Amino acid sequence: MPNENAILSFEELEIRFTLRGQVLNAIRGISLDVMQGESLAIVGESGSGKSVFTKSAMGLLDANGAITGGHIWYGGKDLAQFKTEKEWLTIRGKEIAMVMQDPMTSLNPLKTIGDQITEAVLLHQGLKGEAARKAAMDALAAVGIDEPERRYRQYPHEFSGGMRQRVVIAIAVACRPKVLICDEPTTALDVTIQAQILDLIKALQKKLDLTTIYITHDLGVVANVADRIAVMYAGDIVEVGRCEEVFYDPKHPYTWALLSSLPQLGVKGQDLYSIQGTPPNLFYEVHGDAFAPRNPQALNIDFVERPPFFQVSPTHKARTWLLDPRAPKVEPPEHIRQLRQKGGYPHG
Amino acid sequence: MVKYIGKRLLRSLLTLFIIITIVFALLRLMPIEGYFQNFEKMSATQIQVGLQQLGLTDPLPQQLLHFWQGAVQGDFGVSHKYRVGVDVLEIIAGKIPLSLAIGLTSLALALLIGLPLGILMARSTRTRWKIGDKLGTVFVVVIQAIPSAIYYIFIQFYCSQLPGFSMFFDAKRPLTWILPICSLALGNVAYYAMWLRRYMVDEANKDYVKLARAKGVPTAEISRRHVFRNAFVPLVQFIPTSVILTLMGSLYVESLYSIPGMGGLLVNAIQIQDNTLVQALVLLYAAISIAGLLVGDILMAVLDPRITLGKKEGGR
Repeated sequence: MPNENAILSFEELEIRFTLRGQVLNAIRGISLDVMQGESLAIVGESGSGKSVFTKSAMGLLDANGAITGGHIWYGGKDLAQFKTEKEWLTIRGKEIAMVMQDPMTSLNPLKTIGDQITEAVLLHQGLKGEAARKAAMDALAAVGIDEPERRYRQYPHEFSGGMRQRVVIAIAVACRPKVLICDEPTTALDVTIQAQILDLIKALQKKLDLTTIYITHDLGVVANVADRIAVMYAGDIVEVGRCEEVFYDPKHPYTWALLSSLPQLGVKGQDLYSIQGTPPNLFYEVHGDAFAPRNPQALNIDFVERPPFFQVSPTHKARTWLLDPRAPKVEPPEHIRQLRQKGGYPHG
Repeated sequence: MVKYIGKRLLRSLLTLFIIITIVFALLRLMPIEGYFQNFEKMSATQIQVGLQQLGLTDPLPQQLLHFWQGAVQGDFGVSHKYRVGVDVLEIIAGKIPLSLAIGLTSLALALLIGLPLGILMARSTRTRWKIGDKLGTVFVVVIQAIPSAIYYIFIQFYCSQLPGFSMFFDAKRPLTWILPICSLALGNVAYYAMWLRRYMVDEANKDYVKLARAKGVPTAEISRRHVFRNAFVPLVQFIPTSVILTLMGSLYVESLYSIPGMGGLLVNAIQIQDNTLVQALVLLYAAISIAGLLVGDILMAVLDPRITLGKKEGGR
């Protein structure tokens, strides 16, 4: 049963895609609780299934993908059972909204900014005509866009990338959602703008009492915004914990490897660390720990049986056999321990 | 906007000027028989006098000037063969309404069928078997691949057997309008369906459609308000061009069904070598084409805010 403080709860979720007759196991049994009011970051490399995982909560999977097992609990309902568009329309925008990665393409180029925000207002705030217009302008002002009256009538191409991302956020917020999913909200933006956008989302979260889920592969972003981190690898969550727990006391070898790849931890003159090998091919069933083939310290059992979650602290758990009492003592790499001693987050 | 339209208008006029000059030059190369009704029986002096009266013995630049002056004042000369002594504009004016009626009706019909067909095909690409899309594609390919002349004849031959229909056009019998109009529309139906489908599929895969879905807009509304609207913009540019194509196409259909319209007129005029009439008709077609392109460009600029009017660097 889902945790009672969780606003959104995934339970043994499985998602499969059919591609040219082959079945791809994109999500392989994920259980994760998203707590009311928190901001959770899901990190992982490209193709680990971060986006697919969160999209499933909005019914936005591509036509060839489907939830084949498990539950998604939201407000007492199991979203995994939703079949019709009508059911999903009670969730999309209204309850869970999304900010997408590329602001350059996520706005309709032929509609004014105002129209696109008003569309959300009309759908979700029950306002009409002049009141809806007013609400849309308020949304623009709320995301820090000056002269909303003038901007309202402008088209996306008259906005810069950062400004457009503000508009996308305004649209999401104008839906009055309870959960906001930010799918790599800063990846396509200039570094100087990234911090502004993150600050904006944080401020809105506080003001509107939102729960936010960040999807990112930028650990700098994570350190900046997240209360909790879920590390994803090959369609599964391998480690979950509070931000400082995952950064300073990581338990899963994949988390070690991920943190080791941070440029900030590199030593001048030495090559940056990169994880050897490639992620497993999800067209085949994965046996044991999906990361084992790339893990130089993998145990024999890692290749045979999928590890369960071992609880490290009440808020921290990891899916690795290393935490089994019978396992040999394997220490994380030297620089990971240094990270703990230095006591600073790896700021991007 | 006004500046943009003005610029485009000036450019169009320049194009027209060049075309007129070329037509003028080409007609100087035509045999002079075209200026006389019974050329064979005339003596050399008579011909010389005749040419002098028409101003054709003047030096070329002067002739061009005269021609230009006439054109500006709407004087394109009189017909020498088709209907002797009648102002060519009068002849053309008598034919235009019929061609226009048939052309525009068929275009309207093509849009009425082609656009829904395109939408249907685009929607169908998202279904499992894509039946609608496949059937539609077969239709489009057949129409595009077979030369229109062939299916025009087929339609005339087989459909005219139906009761009330006829091989020939009669303005007073509404049923006889149907075949030529449908024949003309067929090509455009395929054209619009094909392009609209293509643009709608393109648009439907864009990120802003995903965002619209994520904000909770129902699929039907996304399809109408976002996808169709955006996919239609590049098509708008085609529409005026279609008007031209309909006029050209009617050259053939009109002579097939013996419709006394513009298309048949040009064929006729060329056959009997009525130089002044050919000249005026070619000019008219050119003017319509240029106007069509101009209107297409202006429509695009009105509908797509990204088209920075007249500026070269345009931030697309």
